[in-house]
Amino acid sequence: MNVDNKFILGGQEFQSRLLVGTGKFSSVEVMLAAIKASGAQLVTVALRRFNLERPSDDLFSPLVRLGVTLVPNTSGARNAAEAVRAAMLGRELSGSRFVKVEIHPNPHHLMPDPLETYEACKQLAKAGFIVLPYMPADPVLAKRLEDVGCAAVMPLGSAIGSGHGLSTAEMIKLIIADSGIPVIVDAGIRAPSEAAAAMEMGCSAVLVNSAIAAAGDPVAMAAAFAQAVKAGAAARQAGLMAQSGHAVATSPLTSFLAGIPA
Amino acid sequence: MGGASKWGAFFMNIMVNGNKHDHTGSGSLDTLLMELGAKPDAVAIMVNDQVIPRADRAGITLKDGDCVEVLSFMGGG
Repeated sequence: MNVDNKFILGGQEFQSRLLVGTGKFSSVEVMLAAIKASGAQLVTVALRRFNLERPSDDLFSPLVRLGVTLVPNTSGARNAAEAVRAAMLGRELSGSRFVKVEIHPNPHHLMPDPLETYEACKQLAKAGFIVLPYMPADPVLAKRLEDVGCAAVMPLGSAIGSGHGLSTAEMIKLIIADSGIPVIVDAGIRAPSEAAAAMEMGCSAVLVNSAIAAAGDPVAMAAAFAQAVKAGAAARQAGLMAQSGHAVATSPLTSFLAGIPA
Repeated sequence: MGGASKWGAFFMNIMVNGNKHDHTGSGSLDTLLMELGAKPDAVAIMVNDQVIPRADRAGITLKDGDCVEVLSFMGGG
């Protein structure tokens, strides 16, 4: 069981249980405003070749000024060796030990490769990284990733950018039930209600990117997600009532009206 | 191949992000980054497939034929 009062990753406590990504935003300005509105303290970024045509493009400096902790991902890596190299480059640049391991060789579905992900996580945890693997919602793999020293597991709710929500909800519940480390739903979330549902289920946090970046008003949506994640976490801690297969009356059912003359 | 340029300074042919690049500086990574217009703090560097830790940058001198990768952050989930 998982929802502790504190959200701790790699020995560091975070107040916000909403992690956000920086992809797909219409501009850097909108992205920065959305991150602020989300209250996120952990922000994912990708690594690419420096644009020789546009040398003034710089995502790094404004994010540093925002004071968030950067979580470089290994997107683009097709295997463990490439992911490890991407992680090392990301660490050089971010100055942070956090890494989101992301190895998805097939651009059609972007499903994480479990074998390469496992291998990369094993090596990176050994090398002192705070490893957050994007992974299929598989309880067996989650346990294996915990065993090799990952700081959290990040099962997908549904395919990256698909907006199909928590289609893996039952598997995520199984992962949470067994996990000794935080479970963070990553990918697929479209609506704040889904983020709240993930938190009510017992997730420690959620990672949202497309749902904010591709919203009609990304800044307002980021604020909505912040509220939803807080509400879901509070509800989880408050303890949801037990479900019943039949009705359980909330009002007295004494037939007092029968004794009153019409 | 590199050699002496008409300006008298040395130049060398290196690869930067897969493109041929005539480097006319001293061969230090700092001068290369300046040439490219890259902020030193905002990029990570690999030389011949080796990740160069920030602290080791100053000790690197490029030579003819070196393959340099300069990487920066972009938006990602």
